[in-house]
Amino acid sequence: MAEVILNQVVKTYGSIYAVNHVSLTVADGEFVALVGPSGCGKTTTLNLIAGLIPMSGGDIYIGDKLVNDLDPKDRDIAMVFQNYALYPNKTVFKNLAFPLQMRKLSKDVIDSKVMAAAKVLDITHLLERKPRELSGGQQQRVALGRALVRDPRAFLMDEPLSNLDAKLRVQMRSELKRFHHELNATVVYVTHDQLEAVTMSDKMAVMDGGYLQQYDTPKNVFDHPRNTFVASFVGSPAMSLFPLEIIGAGTSVSLGSPEGWSFPLNELNSRKANASTGKKVILGARHSTITVHKTAHPGAVPGKVYTVEPTGDVTFAQVFVGDSIVVVSVEPQVMLRLDEPVWLEFDQDRMHLFDGQTQLALNPA
Amino acid sequence: MSSGQAIFTDGPGTAPRRPGLFSRMWKQRADYLYVLPAIIVMLIVIGYPIYYTIDLSFSRTPTTLKLSDKTFVGLQNYVAILTSPNFWKVTWQTLVWTVLSTIFAFGLGLGAALSLHREFAGRAFMRGLLLIPWVISAVAASYVWKWLYHSDFGAIGALMVQIGVTDEPINFIDNTRTSLYALIVVNVWKEFSFAMIMLMAGLQTVPESLLRAAQVDGANAWQRFWHVTWPHLSGVSMVTILLLVVQNFNSFIIPFVMTGGGPAGSTHIWITHIYEIAFQRQNWGAGAAYAVILFILMMILGIFYVRALTRGDATRAGT
Ligand SMILES: Nc1ncnc2c1ncn2[C@@H]1O[C@H](COP(=O)(O)OP(=O)(O)O)[C@@H](O)[C@H]1O
Ligand SMILES: [Mg+2]
Repeated sequence: MAEVILNQVVKTYGSIYAVNHVSLTVADGEFVALVGPSGCGKTTTLNLIAGLIPMSGGDIYIGDKLVNDLDPKDRDIAMVFQNYALYPNKTVFKNLAFPLQMRKLSKDVIDSKVMAAAKVLDITHLLERKPRELSGGQQQRVALGRALVRDPRAFLMDEPLSNLDAKLRVQMRSELKRFHHELNATVVYVTHDQLEAVTMSDKMAVMDGGYLQQYDTPKNVFDHPRNTFVASFVGSPAMSLFPLEIIGAGTSVSLGSPEGWSFPLNELNSRKANASTGKKVILGARHSTITVHKTAHPGAVPGKVYTVEPTGDVTFAQVFVGDSIVVVSVEPQVMLRLDEPVWLEFDQDRMHLFDGQTQLALNPA
Repeated sequence: MSSGQAIFTDGPGTAPRRPGLFSRMWKQRADYLYVLPAIIVMLIVIGYPIYYTIDLSFSRTPTTLKLSDKTFVGLQNYVAILTSPNFWKVTWQTLVWTVLSTIFAFGLGLGAALSLHREFAGRAFMRGLLLIPWVISAVAASYVWKWLYHSDFGAIGALMVQIGVTDEPINFIDNTRTSLYALIVVNVWKEFSFAMIMLMAGLQTVPESLLRAAQVDGANAWQRFWHVTWPHLSGVSMVTILLLVVQNFNSFIIPFVMTGGGPAGSTHIWITHIYEIAFQRQNWGAGAAYAVILFILMMILGIFYVRALTRGDATRAGT
């Protein structure tokens, strides 16, 4: 296995930047998730690493070697595709053997490698079948097997689980993780599902509009989103964001709304607010950091319950605060009625402040 | 369930027996009503001529062209045809014509389709250019080629002399040994774009991700073609080849315009030969019998064609 390094990688289609100056380092043996909404450039990035499409600019290294001008076959990477891309006219055995045949290995070596991979993935009994005779989960394993037989330097996976049903997806998620752990493989894993990225990866690269928005461990991305996009993309339910106005200055700043209410910030948050380029900031709060009061409470802001969604363990509710919707959660035994007035108290130690203009997270001035 | 009674599974032999053809037709009688106008038109413009040709094939017609004076002669026409050495000579020529035309038209079409499938500057222009033979009138093309081949004024002969292949222009179409092949070249030129179009459509169905997977797996261009593209083209290739075969068996214009079957009958194929017997020698009965034989052969090819076309349907319908 080897590390993969992207340095200022650019891919343009006409005037569109599908991938815009992306730099990231995937360490040897690391599982990195490329995550972002549809059309943000994930697949393009992966295809650039694989060498399937030409780069418009930048450098890609795989294990110390500059691969910019290498063909896919010489980059020694393996790929798993969203629709599995199994050769429909070949049996499972021949599908697995194909990459080895192309590398002109002897028949004995091919046989033993295919059998070994099939054993790891528990598909030995399927070897004589054609892909269309397999279930989605089995096809998925075969696709993985075809990547596995070759001891590649890195695995590239493009939404490999998104064609599976929800239950199988969760199961395969843990199996893939296990697989990564046992092989100590370098994996670049594309997904649009932030939950997949958070649960599986060592590091996640959040992309939007061709740009790399943030590249860090899932915990850091979750706890310290760099900007409002990352804040709202990672986590489910999404972090609530709403614009407020800075009142006062120095170490005792309050945030006020157009409706007239306001609440004071603590010292650290005041210093963050001071770093804002203008008077506008965006407050970000995850449901778990918001306390719901049924009566007026000092420092809490007034709102009105809009929807209530009991899930069993916890009840989620959407609350209108001014024009913005804030998602909160309460214990299942707490009864919330529609249109009921509530007061929301934000945990000052765990709330986020973003610059109203740049949308970037604010750091204490 | 201890009783062993399954609710959702079909035991063996529980499938309902397929009702007979006529009861099915009766059930679907309304559907026939909708296609009735089409069936009537077909009966008039296709059914009746077929019937009349078959009727004629058992008769001798007077040279006065008064077809109502025909006399029934049984299988005489058929016997005469099948025992005539001319029939076997023309059949052999037709086979050579059909097989060579089909192979080369398909091969060239495949090559052109593969070249045009890749992106390059001027691709649309090239595609248009290669389509010209297919859209051009066959009669016009035949006349042009006749002049190209002309032993005194032809561009091909002049070119060959100029580059020193021969000392004087070769008689391509006035020579019984080369004439058929000279016409096959024209025919291939005329119809390879048809194969090209069909195969270009087929190439669109090859999933991009499969080609990419093969590329990552280390397959070179030829291996990608052989392992991924070609298996996807087999269906459309089958249909294309069958259509080319049928079309080539039925060829008329190119040999008729360019040589009229000559010299010495060396470029006669079935249809031109039938035309000569029926319309030039006024031997209607023999011409009709000939046509019936050809019709039977074509129907057999037609069955294969329909099979190839509907091959996917049955599996898709799960029957
Ligand atoms: N072959 C192409 N031609 C033009 N635009 C493309 C092409 N491939 C991708 N794009 C554009 O590049 C952007 C990123 O696409 P992609 O990498 O496929 O996104 P995703 O993150 O969903 O995988 C999209 O806006 C897409 O429209
Ligand atoms: Mg994609």
